Amino acid sequence: MSEITEWQPVYAPFLGFSGIAAAMIFSSVGAAYGTAKAGISIAGVGTFKPELIMKSLISVIMAGIIAVYGLVIAVLIAGDMSPEKEYTLFAGIMHLAAGLSVGLAGAAAGYAIGTVGNAGARAFLQQPKVFVGKVLILIFAEVLGLYGLIVALILNTRKA
Amino acid sequence: MTSRRIVSTEKTVLDKDDMSSRGPPGPAPPDILPGSIPQISKSVISKLLAYTIAMIVAPLSAYYLTLNHIYNGNNTFAGATAAVVANIVLIAYVIEALREDDADNKEGKKNR
Repeated sequence: MSEITEWQPVYAPFLGFSGIAAAMIFSSVGAAYGTAKAGISIAGVGTFKPELIMKSLISVIMAGIIAVYGLVIAVLIAGDMSPEKEYTLFAGIMHLAAGLSVGLAGAAAGYAIGTVGNAGARAFLQQPKVFVGKVLILIFAEVLGLYGLIVALILNTRKA
Repeated sequence: MTSRRIVSTEKTVLDKDDMSSRGPPGPAPPDILPGSIPQISKSVISKLLAYTIAMIVAPLSAYYLTLNHIYNGNNTFAGATAAVVANIVLIAYVIEALREDDADNKEGKKNR
Protein backbone atom coordinates (compact mmCIF):
# COMPACT_ATOMS: atom_id res chain seq x y z
CA MET A 1 0.00 0.00 0.00
CA SER A 2 1.48 3.27 -1.12
CA GLU A 3 1.55 6.43 0.94
CA ILE A 4 -1.20 9.03 0.59
CA THR A 5 0.25 12.23 -0.83
CA GLU A 6 -1.05 15.20 -2.75
CA TRP A 7 -0.09 13.36 -5.95
CA GLN A 8 -1.86 10.19 -4.79
CA PRO A 9 -4.90 11.34 -2.82
CA VAL A 10 -7.46 8.96 -1.31
CA TYR A 11 -10.14 10.12 -3.72
CA ALA A 12 -8.16 9.35 -6.90
CA PRO A 13 -9.70 5.84 -7.27
CA PHE A 14 -13.14 7.43 -6.98
CA LEU A 15 -12.49 9.36 -10.18
CA GLY A 16 -11.22 6.22 -11.92
CA PHE A 17 -14.24 4.15 -10.93
CA SER A 18 -16.49 7.02 -12.00
CA GLY A 19 -14.87 6.68 -15.41
CA ILE A 20 -15.70 2.96 -15.54
CA ALA A 21 -19.30 3.63 -14.57
CA ALA A 22 -19.65 6.53 -17.02
CA ALA A 23 -18.28 4.42 -19.90
CA MET A 24 -20.77 1.63 -19.31
CA ILE A 25 -23.83 3.64 -18.23
CA PHE A 26 -23.85 6.38 -20.86
CA SER A 27 -23.01 4.08 -23.78
CA SER A 28 -25.76 1.72 -22.61
CA VAL A 29 -28.19 4.64 -22.44
CA GLY A 30 -27.35 5.45 -26.06
CA ALA A 31 -27.58 1.82 -27.14
CA ALA A 32 -30.90 1.36 -25.34
CA TYR A 33 -32.39 4.46 -26.93
CA GLY A 34 -31.19 3.35 -30.38
CA THR A 35 -32.53 -0.19 -29.92
CA ALA A 36 -35.90 0.96 -28.56
CA LYS A 37 -36.49 3.69 -31.13
CA ALA A 38 -35.47 1.48 -34.05
CA GLY A 39 -37.35 -1.49 -32.59
CA ILE A 40 -40.66 0.40 -32.56
CA SER A 41 -40.51 1.02 -36.30
CA ILE A 42 -39.23 -2.51 -37.04
CA ALA A 43 -42.27 -3.92 -35.27
CA GLY A 44 -44.48 -1.62 -37.33
CA VAL A 45 -42.78 -2.45 -40.62
CA GLY A 46 -42.68 -6.18 -39.83
CA THR A 47 -46.47 -6.38 -39.64
CA PHE A 48 -46.71 -5.21 -43.25
CA LYS A 49 -43.63 -6.73 -44.87
CA PRO A 50 -41.99 -9.40 -42.67
CA GLU A 51 -39.24 -9.93 -45.27
CA LEU A 52 -37.87 -6.45 -44.47
CA ILE A 53 -37.17 -7.28 -40.82
CA MET A 54 -33.73 -8.70 -41.55
CA LYS A 55 -32.62 -5.51 -43.28
CA SER A 56 -34.23 -3.21 -40.73
CA LEU A 57 -32.42 -4.96 -37.88
CA ILE A 58 -29.12 -3.39 -38.99
CA SER A 59 -29.83 -0.31 -36.88
CA VAL A 60 -30.37 -2.51 -33.81
CA ILE A 61 -27.05 -4.28 -34.40
CA MET A 62 -25.31 -0.91 -34.75
CA ALA A 63 -26.84 0.26 -31.48
CA GLY A 64 -25.52 -2.92 -29.87
CA ILE A 65 -22.01 -2.12 -31.02
CA ILE A 66 -22.18 1.21 -29.15
CA ALA A 67 -22.57 -0.76 -25.93
CA VAL A 68 -19.61 -2.97 -26.93
CA TYR A 69 -17.43 0.16 -27.21
CA GLY A 70 -18.40 1.19 -23.67
CA LEU A 71 -17.78 -2.35 -22.45
CA VAL A 72 -14.29 -2.44 -23.98
CA ILE A 73 -13.27 0.79 -22.26
CA ALA A 74 -14.86 -0.24 -18.96
CA VAL A 75 -12.95 -3.55 -19.01
CA LEU A 76 -9.76 -1.71 -19.99
CA ILE A 77 -9.96 0.80 -17.14
CA ALA A 78 -11.01 -1.87 -14.65
CA GLY A 79 -7.84 -3.77 -15.52
CA ASP A 80 -5.75 -0.83 -14.24
CA MET A 81 -7.52 -0.62 -10.89
CA SER A 82 -5.98 -2.48 -7.98
CA PRO A 83 -5.94 -1.80 -4.24
CA GLU A 84 -2.25 -2.76 -4.02
CA LYS A 85 -0.95 -0.60 -6.88
CA GLU A 86 -0.30 3.09 -6.47
CA TYR A 87 -2.97 5.18 -8.16
CA THR A 88 -2.22 8.81 -8.94
CA LEU A 89 -4.61 11.69 -9.32
CA PHE A 90 -3.47 11.95 -12.94
CA ALA A 91 -4.51 8.37 -13.63
CA GLY A 92 -7.87 8.93 -11.93
CA ILE A 93 -8.78 11.99 -13.96
CA MET A 94 -7.46 10.35 -17.12
CA HIS A 95 -9.71 7.34 -16.58
CA LEU A 96 -12.65 9.63 -15.89
CA ALA A 97 -11.98 11.45 -19.17
CA ALA A 98 -11.70 8.17 -21.06
CA GLY A 99 -14.96 6.89 -19.62
CA LEU A 100 -16.83 10.12 -20.25
CA SER A 101 -15.59 10.44 -23.83
CA VAL A 102 -16.65 6.93 -24.85
CA GLY A 103 -19.84 7.10 -22.79
CA LEU A 104 -21.20 10.43 -23.94
CA ALA A 105 -20.06 9.91 -27.54
CA GLY A 106 -21.87 6.58 -27.38
CA ALA A 107 -25.02 8.26 -26.05
CA ALA A 108 -24.89 10.75 -28.93
CA ALA A 109 -24.34 8.00 -31.49
CA GLY A 110 -27.14 5.90 -30.02
CA TYR A 111 -29.53 8.83 -30.21
CA ALA A 112 -28.64 9.38 -33.87
CA ILE A 113 -28.95 5.66 -34.68
CA GLY A 114 -32.34 5.47 -33.01
CA THR A 115 -33.75 8.46 -34.84
CA VAL A 116 -32.33 7.43 -38.22
CA GLY A 117 -33.29 3.79 -37.72
CA ASN A 118 -36.86 4.79 -36.85
CA ALA A 119 -37.39 7.07 -39.83
CA GLY A 120 -35.30 4.90 -42.15
CA ALA A 121 -37.27 1.70 -41.56
CA ARG A 122 -40.59 3.50 -42.17
CA ALA A 123 -39.24 5.06 -45.37
CA PHE A 124 -37.79 1.71 -46.44
CA LEU A 125 -41.28 0.22 -46.33
CA GLN A 126 -42.41 2.56 -49.09
CA GLN A 127 -39.21 3.04 -51.09
CA PRO A 128 -36.58 0.24 -51.14
CA LYS A 129 -33.97 2.54 -52.67
CA VAL A 130 -33.70 4.32 -49.31
CA PHE A 131 -31.74 1.34 -47.95
CA VAL A 132 -28.25 2.33 -49.15
CA GLY A 133 -28.66 5.90 -47.92
CA LYS A 134 -30.04 4.66 -44.61
CA VAL A 135 -27.07 2.35 -44.05
CA LEU A 136 -24.64 5.16 -44.95
CA ILE A 137 -26.26 7.55 -42.48
CA LEU A 138 -26.24 4.82 -39.85
CA ILE A 139 -22.52 4.24 -40.45
CA PHE A 140 -21.83 7.95 -40.01
CA ALA A 141 -23.79 7.89 -36.75
CA GLU A 142 -21.92 4.78 -35.65
CA VAL A 143 -18.57 6.46 -36.35
CA LEU A 144 -19.39 9.12 -33.74
CA GLY A 145 -19.22 6.42 -31.09
CA LEU A 146 -16.03 5.06 -32.67
CA TYR A 147 -14.38 8.47 -32.30
CA GLY A 148 -15.17 8.41 -28.59
CA LEU A 149 -13.63 4.93 -28.37
CA ILE A 150 -10.45 6.03 -30.18
CA VAL A 151 -10.01 9.04 -27.90
CA ALA A 152 -10.58 6.85 -24.86
CA LEU A 153 -8.01 4.30 -26.09
CA ILE A 154 -5.45 7.07 -26.71
CA LEU A 155 -6.13 8.59 -23.29
CA ASN A 156 -5.56 5.20 -21.72
CA THR A 157 -2.04 5.00 -23.16
CA ARG A 158 -1.05 8.20 -21.31
CA LYS A 159 -0.49 6.32 -18.09
CA ALA A 160 1.97 8.01 -15.75
CA MET B 1 -38.23 22.68 -36.00
CA THR B 2 -36.47 21.93 -39.25
CA SER B 3 -36.73 18.22 -38.57
CA ARG B 4 -40.49 18.58 -38.18
CA ARG B 5 -40.99 19.63 -41.77
CA ILE B 6 -39.89 16.29 -43.16
CA VAL B 7 -42.42 14.35 -41.10
CA SER B 8 -45.87 14.45 -42.61
CA THR B 9 -48.55 15.64 -40.23
CA GLU B 10 -50.94 12.97 -41.36
CA LYS B 11 -50.67 9.91 -39.17
CA THR B 12 -50.07 6.66 -41.01
CA VAL B 13 -51.12 3.30 -39.66
CA LEU B 14 -47.58 2.77 -38.43
CA ASP B 15 -47.70 5.84 -36.20
CA LYS B 16 -50.72 4.67 -34.32
CA ASP B 17 -49.43 2.60 -31.46
CA ASP B 18 -52.66 1.80 -29.67
CA MET B 19 -54.81 -1.01 -30.94
CA SER B 20 -58.15 0.75 -30.33
CA SER B 21 -57.61 3.38 -33.01
CA ARG B 22 -57.29 0.85 -35.78
CA GLY B 23 -61.00 0.27 -36.04
CA PRO B 24 -62.83 -3.03 -35.91
CA PRO B 25 -60.55 -5.98 -36.53
CA GLY B 26 -61.22 -7.51 -39.90
CA PRO B 27 -60.81 -11.18 -40.73
CA ALA B 28 -57.34 -12.41 -39.96
CA PRO B 29 -55.01 -12.91 -42.93
CA PRO B 30 -55.06 -16.51 -44.07
CA ASP B 31 -51.47 -17.30 -43.05
CA ILE B 32 -51.77 -15.84 -39.53
CA LEU B 33 -54.67 -17.68 -37.96
CA PRO B 34 -55.24 -16.90 -34.29
CA GLY B 35 -53.43 -19.37 -32.08
CA SER B 36 -51.27 -20.76 -34.87
CA ILE B 37 -47.52 -20.70 -34.58
CA PRO B 38 -45.97 -18.52 -37.29
CA GLN B 39 -43.84 -20.36 -39.77
CA ILE B 40 -40.25 -19.24 -39.25
CA SER B 41 -37.71 -21.14 -41.27
CA LYS B 42 -34.88 -22.84 -39.45
CA SER B 43 -32.25 -20.99 -41.47
CA VAL B 44 -33.50 -17.61 -40.22
CA ILE B 45 -33.52 -18.74 -36.60
CA SER B 46 -30.04 -20.24 -36.85
CA LYS B 47 -28.79 -17.07 -38.54
CA LEU B 48 -30.22 -14.81 -35.86
CA LEU B 49 -28.89 -17.07 -33.10
CA ALA B 50 -25.45 -17.11 -34.70
CA TYR B 51 -25.32 -13.32 -34.95
CA THR B 52 -26.63 -12.85 -31.41
CA ILE B 53 -23.98 -15.16 -29.99
CA ALA B 54 -21.30 -13.61 -32.22
CA MET B 55 -22.23 -10.11 -31.05
CA ILE B 56 -21.84 -11.12 -27.40
CA VAL B 57 -18.94 -13.56 -27.53
CA ALA B 58 -16.72 -12.38 -30.39
CA PRO B 59 -15.54 -8.96 -29.08
CA LEU B 60 -14.97 -10.16 -25.52
CA SER B 61 -13.15 -13.32 -26.56
CA ALA B 62 -11.08 -11.30 -29.05
CA TYR B 63 -10.07 -8.97 -26.22
CA TYR B 64 -9.01 -11.67 -23.79
CA LEU B 65 -7.43 -13.98 -26.41
CA THR B 66 -5.26 -11.28 -27.99
CA LEU B 67 -4.43 -9.58 -24.67
CA ASN B 68 -1.84 -12.09 -23.47
CA HIS B 69 -1.13 -14.21 -26.53
CA ILE B 70 -0.58 -11.61 -29.26
CA TYR B 71 -0.09 -8.19 -27.67
CA ASN B 72 1.71 -9.34 -24.48
CA GLY B 73 -0.58 -7.50 -22.07
CA ASN B 74 -0.94 -4.29 -24.09
CA ASN B 75 -4.63 -3.80 -23.46
CA THR B 76 -4.95 -0.78 -25.76
CA PHE B 77 -4.35 -2.92 -28.86
CA ALA B 78 -6.52 -5.67 -27.43
CA GLY B 79 -9.35 -3.16 -26.91
CA ALA B 80 -8.98 -1.87 -30.46
CA THR B 81 -9.07 -5.48 -31.71
CA ALA B 82 -12.32 -6.06 -29.83
CA ALA B 83 -13.88 -2.98 -31.46
CA VAL B 84 -12.71 -4.11 -34.90
CA VAL B 85 -14.16 -7.60 -34.34
CA ALA B 86 -17.51 -6.08 -33.33
CA ASN B 87 -17.54 -4.10 -36.58
CA ILE B 88 -16.64 -7.21 -38.59
CA VAL B 89 -19.74 -8.91 -37.16
CA LEU B 90 -21.77 -5.87 -38.22
CA ILE B 91 -20.37 -5.88 -41.77
CA ALA B 92 -21.04 -9.61 -42.02
CA TYR B 93 -24.64 -8.97 -40.99
CA VAL B 94 -25.09 -6.20 -43.58
CA ILE B 95 -23.72 -8.48 -46.32
CA GLU B 96 -25.98 -11.30 -45.13
CA ALA B 97 -29.04 -9.02 -45.23
CA LEU B 98 -28.20 -7.87 -48.76
CA ARG B 99 -27.65 -11.45 -49.96
CA GLU B 100 -30.96 -12.58 -48.47
CA ASP B 101 -32.72 -9.79 -50.35
CA ASP B 102 -31.16 -10.92 -53.64
CA ALA B 103 -32.24 -14.51 -52.96
CA ASP B 104 -35.79 -13.33 -52.21
CA ASN B 105 -35.91 -11.38 -55.46
CA LYS B 106 -34.81 -14.40 -57.49
CA GLU B 107 -37.37 -16.66 -55.81
CA GLY B 108 -40.11 -14.08 -56.33
CA LYS B 109 -39.33 -13.83 -60.04
CA LYS B 110 -39.36 -17.61 -60.38
CA ASN B 111 -42.76 -17.81 -58.69
CA ARG B 112 -44.19 -15.21 -61.02
